[in-house]
Amino acid sequence: MALLKIENVTKRFGGLVAVDKVNLEIKAGEVIGIVGPNGSGKTTLFNVISGVYTPDEGKIIFEGKDITKLPAHKRAPLGLGRTFQIPRPFSSASVRENVAIGAMFGTLSGKVSVDDTLKIADRYIELVGIKTHKDKESGTLTPIEKKLMEIARALAMKPKLLLMDEAMAGMNPKDIDNMVQFIKRIKEEEEIAIVAMVEHIMRAVIGLAERVIVMNFGAKLVDARTEEALTDPRVVEVYLGHPPDGSKWQSEVWGKD
Amino acid sequence: MVFTLLGGNLIQGLLLGGVYGLATMGLSLIFGVINVVNVGHGQFIMVGAFVTLTMFTALGLSPLAAIPAALIIGMALGFFFFYAVIRRLIKAPELTSLLATFAMGILLEELAKLIFGADFRGYNWGLGKITLTITTIQMSKVYAFIGSIVIALFLYLWFSKTRLGTAIRSVIEDNEGAQVCGVNVGWIYALSFAIGIGLTVMSGVLLTMFIPVGINPYMGRVYTLKAFVIAVLGGLTSPYGAFFAGLIFGLIENGAYTLFALIPGVAPFPLTVSLAFWILFFLLLVKPTGLLGK
Amino acid sequence: MNNTISKYYPLIPVLAAYLIIFLIGFFMPGMWQMVALLAFYCALGQSWNIFMGMTGYVDFGYVTFIALGTYGMSLGITYCSQYEWLGIGIIVIGMVLALFLASLSALLEAFIALRLRGAYFAIACIGINEGLRYFIEGAKIWGGSEGLIYFGALVQALGRDTVNQLTSFWADFSVFIIAALAAFLNIYYMRSKIGYALTAVREDEDAAKVMGINTNKYKTIAFLTSGWLGAGVGALAWGLKLGHVYPGDVFVIHYTVECIVVVLLGGAGTLMGPVIGGLIYGLSKYWLAVIMPGFQLLVFAPIIIIIIVIAPEGVVGLLKRKLKGAKLKMFIE
Repeated sequence: MALLKIENVTKRFGGLVAVDKVNLEIKAGEVIGIVGPNGSGKTTLFNVISGVYTPDEGKIIFEGKDITKLPAHKRAPLGLGRTFQIPRPFSSASVRENVAIGAMFGTLSGKVSVDDTLKIADRYIELVGIKTHKDKESGTLTPIEKKLMEIARALAMKPKLLLMDEAMAGMNPKDIDNMVQFIKRIKEEEEIAIVAMVEHIMRAVIGLAERVIVMNFGAKLVDARTEEALTDPRVVEVYLGHPPDGSKWQSEVWGKD
Repeated sequence: MVFTLLGGNLIQGLLLGGVYGLATMGLSLIFGVINVVNVGHGQFIMVGAFVTLTMFTALGLSPLAAIPAALIIGMALGFFFFYAVIRRLIKAPELTSLLATFAMGILLEELAKLIFGADFRGYNWGLGKITLTITTIQMSKVYAFIGSIVIALFLYLWFSKTRLGTAIRSVIEDNEGAQVCGVNVGWIYALSFAIGIGLTVMSGVLLTMFIPVGINPYMGRVYTLKAFVIAVLGGLTSPYGAFFAGLIFGLIENGAYTLFALIPGVAPFPLTVSLAFWILFFLLLVKPTGLLGK
Repeated sequence: MNNTISKYYPLIPVLAAYLIIFLIGFFMPGMWQMVALLAFYCALGQSWNIFMGMTGYVDFGYVTFIALGTYGMSLGITYCSQYEWLGIGIIVIGMVLALFLASLSALLEAFIALRLRGAYFAIACIGINEGLRYFIEGAKIWGGSEGLIYFGALVQALGRDTVNQLTSFWADFSVFIIAALAAFLNIYYMRSKIGYALTAVREDEDAAKVMGINTNKYKTIAFLTSGWLGAGVGALAWGLKLGHVYPGDVFVIHYTVECIVVVLLGGAGTLMGPVIGGLIYGLSKYWLAVIMPGFQLLVFAPIIIIIIVIAPEGVVGLLKRKLKGAKLKMFIE
């Protein structure tokens, strides 16, 4: 059974169709990447899945349950976790408190005490590597540190499906590689079903995703295994503006660094 | 019979509504430009009322002369409070500017009490009346209404035709964009605040024509609430919306008063005052962005 | 286990302060009135702090809760005094009514909070206050603008001695209890899921929802708690103690101003803040009333402005910053 099923979901803002009859299925344990030019509707799709927006048409089904109309705060305890494109820390709270909040209201909601959540927080803070900042006010962190904290906070929710929105934007290649390894580790250790990414950074997508969805103008263009998707002529055209030039194009994507 | 009474009162309400609208324009302007809600709004109206009273009783000048005086005093107060207090709070959380303007209002009340005492005062500007079939209207009220429309019109022209007015509109639309275009936003803030306060104090002058014996330091309170309801009704950041909403509010208020007066065992005046709140509540239920807002 | 208790250490200085004030009032002749006033302000400050400090919402009409509490008690006494067999039950009923009315208002405010934020919420709450006051006067319910006088009825029901004891001691003593209760709830919330949720709501409400926080539920909890405490103070310090009520007396915004001063002076969102603020303000007011009667607000209005501009964190906020990392910090919250 699919973990997440998106059926014919459409979201309009006035005359603009941001998400256009998208169909998508994600199975437990998968890692998929969602890519596409700016404005292709990736973040809006995430917003619809996490409940920030209600779709105008279509259904969202999580673990067999129809959550289309479910308010955002009820989706987290079901197992939907999310990081934001621009980190949104609870600024006046410490890093530890921020991450603990994830644990308090995620899938563990109602099953753990406040003290337990602080311990859980410590674990994830150490995991992402910001232990030294544990008690600092989260508003004072650097952007990269905030991103790491967001990831820790989302992981503390113990989600079954983690939506990562541009989690690696702004990182240098070495950090990205570390992050890719880190996410692979998490996927194994945390029994997190999936990490669905929305990335412009092809390096990360290639390193992690088994399957890639390409979006354009709100619609799903391609949905295939990573290599196939990224070499699909239509995808190349979307990014480069013109059809591929055979082998020359291939080396740009798969080239040595 | 009821209908003639109602009709008459509605006309009176429309006249008052013009003044309400003008008063609220100041509130909307300040909020639109600086994103500060002037919780002390009503107290500035009170200042205008006392300026009128003083000029009439002490200097024998007609309220018409008080209008420019009120504008000058209002703008001076506006500049003073802006540079002394508001400017430092623009970057601070919303709460602080709320509290600051609240405290400013209280300060004005207490100063007024100190200078004039807490009693109710009034004056009589006998200009005669106009008699229509359904009602008798005092000329002073007509003047006030005309005054409010003239001022609102003047503002409209100023905003759309002059450089400074356009600059202010640009800051309302997009703060950063305006800066990039070379608008000195800091000065625009100060000016807008001053104009907003000036408008409010001026409306206090016009208001006195409707409440000839009700002038006292605490009169402002009730107008803050009304102004707020009118602003929400007109769509929070639109000064023009505020003016029209003011007219509508005046109509509703007087209409309601007439109807309440017909109900036995009820005190119509306080009940009408409470009406402002019920309108707000109803608005929030049905259309929070205001009748005329987006 | 150790950890759990140490979480509540900041409560110690607060309760100690209340105890000391109480003892001074109880044992030193002539000091009870002043001490009662201090307790009043501390209790109000502590209650308002739960509302504003934790949710970040400012309710300029907070006095509505106090007023409704007073009315609850007043209505209870007015209508139940005839049933003398109820005895002290009359007071209990009054209290229940007070809490009931406060709940209605809190739910109304929660409803408004859904649709208005920041400044608009603040002013809408003034609206509730003014609206209620004029509605009572206009619709002539609950005694209309003349209000209710029930002191005599109470004396008849409970006997002069009991009533004297109630009004001269027990009413004020109960205010102390409320202050202590408010302090306890304050820190209990701060250390529990509720506090964390409210911090998230305060900082970024939309992100909070995505994290799984039912923002309406937690805001309502804070509003209700704060409202009940405020109503309790009103019911006891005014309703029970004074024996009369009328709208122009209780729906008065300047009590909200006083709450704000108390909390700002001491430090919004802190536990000890309202206590310090309450003490400073209460003492200053008492002192000013002796030297310059009628001028308190004239003095305090500019003081509020100055505090906001210069020291928005208040006394305790400043202390917390200075003491960062020190052992003493455990006791200051």
